[in-house]
Amino acid sequence: MSKILVIAEHRQGELRPVSLELIAAAQGLGGPITVAVIGANAQAFVPALSLPGVDEILTVASPFAEFNPEVQEAAVAALITELAPAVVLLGHTVDSLAYAAALAGKLGLGFASDVFKIECQGSDLVATRAAYSQKVNVEVDFPGKATVLLTVRPAVFKPAEGSASPATRSIAAPAVTTTSAPGEYIEIASGNDIDITTVDFILSVGRGVGEEANIQQFRDLAETAGATLCCSRPIADSGWLPKSRQVGQSGKVASNCGLYLAMGISGAIQHLAGMKHVGTIVAVNTDPEASIFSVAKYGIVGDMFEIGEALKEALEG
Amino acid sequence: MKILVAVKQVAALDEDFEIRADGLDVDEDFLLFDLNEWDDYSLEEAMKIKEASSGDVEVVVVSIGPERVDESLRKCLAKGADRALRVWDDAIEGSDSSVMARLLAAVVRKEAPDMVFAGVQSSDHAFAATGIGLAGELGWPHAAVVNALDYAPGARQASLKRELEGGVSQSVTLQCPAVLTIQLGINTPRYASLRGIKQANAKPIDVLGLGDLGVAASTVGVDASLSRVRRMYIPPKGRAQMIEGSPDQQAARLVEIIREFKGA
Amino acid sequence: MDATAQTTRILFEQFSPWAINLFYAFGYAAIACFLYGSYVQVRKYRRGQPDASWGQLAARFGDMARTMLTHRTLKRRDHAAGAAHAMIFFSFIALFVGTATITLEVDILKPLFGITFWKGGFYLLFSLVLDLAGLGLIGGLLYMMYRRKWMALPKLDYTRPDRQPGDPDYDRSAYRREDWAFLWTLILIGITGYVLEASRLVWLSGDAGVWDSRFWSPVGALLAHSLMGLGLDASGAGTLRGGLWWFHGLLALSFIALIPFTKVKHIFTASASLMFRDPLAGRRLPKVPETQEAAGYQAITDLTWKNLLHLDACTKCGRCHEACPARTVGAPLSPRDVILSLREFANHALAASSLPDKAELSIHGKGPGQVFMETLWSCRTCLACVEICPVAVEHVPIIVQMRRKLVEEGQMEPILQKTLQTIHKTGNSFGESKRKRGAWTKGLPFPVKDARKEPVETLWFVGDYAAFDPRNQKVTQAFARLLHAAGEDFGLLLDGELNAGNDVRRVGEEGLYEHLASSNIATLEGCEFKRIVTTDPHSFNTIRNEYPEFADPALRGLFQIEHYSTVLLKLIQNGRLTLKKHLSHRVTFHDPCHLGRFNKGYDAPRELLALIGCTLVEMPRNRDNSFCCGAGGGRIWIPDPVGMEKPAQNRMKEAAGLPDIDVFVVACPKDLTMFEDALKTTPGCEGRFVVRELIELIAECVEAADPAPAALAAAPAMA
Repeated sequence: MSKILVIAEHRQGELRPVSLELIAAAQGLGGPITVAVIGANAQAFVPALSLPGVDEILTVASPFAEFNPEVQEAAVAALITELAPAVVLLGHTVDSLAYAAALAGKLGLGFASDVFKIECQGSDLVATRAAYSQKVNVEVDFPGKATVLLTVRPAVFKPAEGSASPATRSIAAPAVTTTSAPGEYIEIASGNDIDITTVDFILSVGRGVGEEANIQQFRDLAETAGATLCCSRPIADSGWLPKSRQVGQSGKVASNCGLYLAMGISGAIQHLAGMKHVGTIVAVNTDPEASIFSVAKYGIVGDMFEIGEALKEALEG
Repeated sequence: MKILVAVKQVAALDEDFEIRADGLDVDEDFLLFDLNEWDDYSLEEAMKIKEASSGDVEVVVVSIGPERVDESLRKCLAKGADRALRVWDDAIEGSDSSVMARLLAAVVRKEAPDMVFAGVQSSDHAFAATGIGLAGELGWPHAAVVNALDYAPGARQASLKRELEGGVSQSVTLQCPAVLTIQLGINTPRYASLRGIKQANAKPIDVLGLGDLGVAASTVGVDASLSRVRRMYIPPKGRAQMIEGSPDQQAARLVEIIREFKGA
Repeated sequence: MDATAQTTRILFEQFSPWAINLFYAFGYAAIACFLYGSYVQVRKYRRGQPDASWGQLAARFGDMARTMLTHRTLKRRDHAAGAAHAMIFFSFIALFVGTATITLEVDILKPLFGITFWKGGFYLLFSLVLDLAGLGLIGGLLYMMYRRKWMALPKLDYTRPDRQPGDPDYDRSAYRREDWAFLWTLILIGITGYVLEASRLVWLSGDAGVWDSRFWSPVGALLAHSLMGLGLDASGAGTLRGGLWWFHGLLALSFIALIPFTKVKHIFTASASLMFRDPLAGRRLPKVPETQEAAGYQAITDLTWKNLLHLDACTKCGRCHEACPARTVGAPLSPRDVILSLREFANHALAASSLPDKAELSIHGKGPGQVFMETLWSCRTCLACVEICPVAVEHVPIIVQMRRKLVEEGQMEPILQKTLQTIHKTGNSFGESKRKRGAWTKGLPFPVKDARKEPVETLWFVGDYAAFDPRNQKVTQAFARLLHAAGEDFGLLLDGELNAGNDVRRVGEEGLYEHLASSNIATLEGCEFKRIVTTDPHSFNTIRNEYPEFADPALRGLFQIEHYSTVLLKLIQNGRLTLKKHLSHRVTFHDPCHLGRFNKGYDAPRELLALIGCTLVEMPRNRDNSFCCGAGGGRIWIPDPVGMEKPAQNRMKEAAGLPDIDVFVVACPKDLTMFEDALKTTPGCEGRFVVRELIELIAECVEAADPAPAALAAAPAMA
């Protein structure tokens, strides 16, 4: 396999975990790996990226400490031109969403997003992604493309581990006139609310709860069970629970959760992203085909209100 | 003053669906079509801007697809869009999001809007690429995953928030015209009553071919795409251990699981 | 004989000509006032939209006259009030006709033709009838006063559930004052009439022609004797008579003058309302004309003249207020207050000589006289209000018309919005795939025909709840087995069937209803069958009453639909189904709104219960007064507020109050769902009885193993 370029991500001085997952994915492909990290303080991330299998780390100095889509796009384009990699790996993250498609289009790269499996079948690079709400998998290839840009689904590849001393090189990002000015980061105000990334037992409700007035039943149940009440995106979007209680890609990751009781949650991929660390998932859903049942350890096909009520009684009894 | 909203008619799968004989997609018999959920939000955002403005704001929706897409466009017209465009040519069949971006860019050049909205992603293929690909084709300022927007029609600058991972947003100011991809939850989409949809039959939907857009047939279709589908298949599913019985029995088992966990 | 032949009453006796002229001037002024007021009212109605109720006027008039003469509607559920009203009504008619008779002679026949007839025997009989009529009037009014003051009837409590104290239109004390002013005015007219008569008798006691025939006015005569006993002499009586004459006369003239401006106008508006009664009101909702751009009522002028007339017909009797299930459980809706709000709004907005701006005509909102969105969404369209209204006010069509506007504007619960979108997308409210509509047939030991592919005798329209709800599927399968056992040739539309649309229409999503109905109609028109049956009263209602309006006029006969209760009854009666055992349950029966009140299907379920040996214990609210389960009007798709009693729970309590019943029998899929849930959540009811579908009980009897003959003989004989 020829060259692989990995674009590491960072935010607010922290390397994003997806960076190490991308390196792991690259390791699996088995070619020389160049990891690039772009930013004013790109040097700071070199130690964390010095992993086995990484052949070179490129720090690309840009005028901005944080991600800027136009700078990022120009820098990655320049790297591709310079390195002519066969594969470029980006995280399927909000940052990548802001420039990957534009870049692929402009350079005419092979392109697939949100891939969770990458392999070589003969001479062909084949990426697998999902479609139709995760109900099918799709294998795509890239005939005639010398360089393929892939955005890789987070939390699929196990982060690369170990340490090594790859070569490092610093270059400057191409000068760009920016049209947008990313500003401050805003933490969703959770007030004095509990930090759900620290709790070990979560009761989470989804669309199945139907309406705001029904939340109370599950608030009571969570209290009885000694669990923290959380929710999926639609519930937080509706304002029925604070955004700080939302588990998922755009919410919080239940990173210390041992038991996760999902009620009326069908299991959209964005929600599952927040549950990847959970020890035991128990799902209650009326739809036996709900995708939550494919990640849960235990499942109950049934009405969340009925089960909720029975559970509360059983816990009290 | 004009806002262009790019929308897509997406497919959901019916019960017991089957993969097509060529193995590349689901048999069309099992596809249930509807307007992409994200597009409800981007259209609503455009309508809100139109309604808040004292000036004349035109909201134009555009979609790429065969005749069945008119139904989704009519839903947009029923919600108040002024005009709808549908781009189609049989050569477009099988195109990926980069081709869609190219076609939409041709529409934008023709329509010259002051602002372009697209959904963050479509619920069927979820490439999350068309909107930003379009910005790339146009070389316009852009922002992805916008969950709050402050924009006065015709203004040279907009301020917005991007929704990042982990409950964090970022405020951004950008120059206009621009392409924004709109995230769920930015607003509350309105209801399109069936009478409204029916009455929207009277509003015209302009159908544009490749010739109208000055796009060569060789630059669309699967061969002009950045990826090609090799195979579609139904993945073997992991399956939870199902707890059977009456709700009371199921609850009793849940209590065991909870106690086991707490004891551990 | 000779003496009495010329007996009469001298009008204006000993009045000076100027006094007579003055009285006529007052009379003309009163009539002018009445005519002007009437003109203003009619102008108000004419500001409404056209209504097509002008056909068959003779039949309508006959129907109205029958209702009024029998007082049928007024006596229902409040016989005493009905009887008292009848006394007032007939006495008033007699007194009015009497006065008109005098006018006829004095002002028309005598001056023009010299004809007199108000004398002799006729006069005496006339005196007697009117004297007694006065008694009826006063008696009836006294009861009404007693009822209003001392009976503390909840239906006469004007407290509004849709407003809070302090809201500008919360206070209803003006209505109370008007009620009492009305009663006092009428009773004073009656009382002063008697005293006037008595004082005239005393005054003329020296005139044998008058005095000898005094007992033809028995009440007046007795009063005259009493007054004389109290020391009244002829000259005193003359003075009293002079004063009273003017008081009585002016009071009566004021009464006439004020008719169009007060609740007294109900004597005209209620009659007219009855005359234009729509027997299908609420059962068949109005179509939105093809040419009409906007659906529903936004402005007061969007109401039809008939709607506006209904608003004025209401006498605030409170029967609808009492019957309404939403009001009963504390929802912010009283049908009475919707009508009164709109009436106040109409009187305010449409009384002036020119119409105010369009913006000031909106009946939606939070202002005085406007109807809150929450109020409209609280309605379950059960028709309890329409059914009980003694003057044929049609509340539900107005509420649905107003909901149509809310739907156009998306002003509804998000969850309802989602459900409507789901129905549009999948054709059912469960969001299930069309392909799964027939999935319940897989549990049957025999194949079921596809009525789209082969002719059938009976086409079974299943409906959403019966087809998709797992609990109801069991009932649906049982009905299929019963049809099969009876050798009935039946088939289904399978995935060709869409939600029938009954509840979608009652939500106010008329466009979606049109889509569902026309699609089902097209499917039905493509099938060959003799009749339609359904287990779902909601589908039953819309197919029976509403589909014909949407179908090709030549094919309207297609929609001959039967509810399963009549189908099974016939199958058992003609021996095609054999009951192999009897059930000795004590049961109560809940009339589904759409079967009972909507379509008068009260008897077949009861006959079936008797046939299978069950003892029926009626709930206090039964048949036409059945209490809605709360699911109607799309409310099954909108969860009830937490903490508020649900109508179904209220019903469970009613059933639990019956002595020792075993089974709460229902005959509607939605009822099964609503009441099984309610039974579990109503304190003190669970375990008292079970909820079962009538079909299940019948299947139990038909599908039992062949009984030992002795067991059958021992079954109680049921009436």
